[in-house]
Amino acid sequence: MDAQGGIERLPRGRHGLSPEFVAQNQRQRLINGLTQGLYEVGYQKTTVSLIGQRAAVSKSDFYKHFESKDECFVAAYDAAIERIRGQLVAACDEADGQAWSQHMSDAIEALLKLFAAEPALASIALVEGLRAGRGVYDRYQAAIESFVELMRKTEPPSTLGAKVPEATDEAIVGGIAAMLGRRVLAGETEQLTELFPEILEFVLGAYLGAEEARRIVSVG
Amino acid sequence: MSSTRPELSREFVASHKRRRMMDAIAELTAEQGYEATKIADIVRRAAVARKTLYDNFDGKEDLFLSAVSATMTEMRVVVEEACERNADPGDGIVAGLEALLDFVAEHPSASRMCMVEAISATPSSARLYDAGVRDFVELLQKSAPDETDLPDTIEESLVGGVAWILQLQIRKGGAEQAPELLSELSQFVLSPYPGVGKVVNTGRRK
Repeated sequence: MDAQGGIERLPRGRHGLSPEFVAQNQRQRLINGLTQGLYEVGYQKTTVSLIGQRAAVSKSDFYKHFESKDECFVAAYDAAIERIRGQLVAACDEADGQAWSQHMSDAIEALLKLFAAEPALASIALVEGLRAGRGVYDRYQAAIESFVELMRKTEPPSTLGAKVPEATDEAIVGGIAAMLGRRVLAGETEQLTELFPEILEFVLGAYLGAEEARRIVSVG
Repeated sequence: MSSTRPELSREFVASHKRRRMMDAIAELTAEQGYEATKIADIVRRAAVARKTLYDNFDGKEDLFLSAVSATMTEMRVVVEEACERNADPGDGIVAGLEALLDFVAEHPSASRMCMVEAISATPSSARLYDAGVRDFVELLQKSAPDETDLPDTIEESLVGGVAWILQLQIRKGGAEQAPELLSELSQFVLSPYPGVGKVVNTGRRK
């Protein structure tokens, strides 16, 4: 990965790489080019030429991969969501066998670290996706729902003596996504990791009660 | 039959027309989205002349922003009044939430316009939505129990979470059933407040 969160262009000339590999690599570079451009100059100014320039892919090659900038945007959006999902799944796998609160803690930490390290990814996933119109909004909704499913794989211990309603899981994930989106929009993406204890307290509190959540967060 | 049409003041007629145009754009954007809604559709639905629209608004976006902004204000006022009618902070928050859900059920198109369409319609409408969320965060902070000083992160997530659940409900065409979410959402919103959330969870509210 280079400093722009993209992948290096391939060497010119004979490299013995399969055409599929080269195409895949180009496509990925274009997706990264759009994601980064979007973050730096916004959707309007992220033209196909600019994406091509950043990706070191010609304009005509761009159109071999995507019919339009919109199509490239959707692919970039899906790729961002996949990255986030991958990060969450990895964190949950690592916490396997541990307490529920540890699962939540590891997942939140992994998520915030990913966003802080890659502001452009945070921006397309949490801000641009929502604003891009009806079509992408469906994808945003599907992404949130898939994160809710992921969260439901581990059961919280029931200490409140009351069943936690279904809407709680959805409200937590949707609420955190909205809050993070606001921070990203305010240009605070790199400081997102500082929010870790507060977000953890919020998530645990909804299931364990505010007092217990504070206790767990304070002992670390 | 003698025509006894009541004499309405010009101001009344003018404001009534403005209202009709704002209602029309709310209904149309809820039905077909902002992009697909044309000036011709709006004037037809509102039964006003095209000229009337342009006398009142700069164009489609100006009308849309005015309608979003007016609905946001109405929504905030009903919620704020409901919160303030209760001395107990927990009760106040639940009453505010109830008022919000009732508003959504009573004004499904206007709610959809504000809470769903505004986010992606235009950059200015997205800013109006953001400002609306900020107002609700402040309202929640004002209504919260005095002794709890939660970080902004949590209150923003609470408001974002309620908005998200309502957006899902509106998008699946269930705005009218929004009040059924009251108990689940109350539990969610009160959960971070020590001493308040727990009382509601066990169903023994004071």
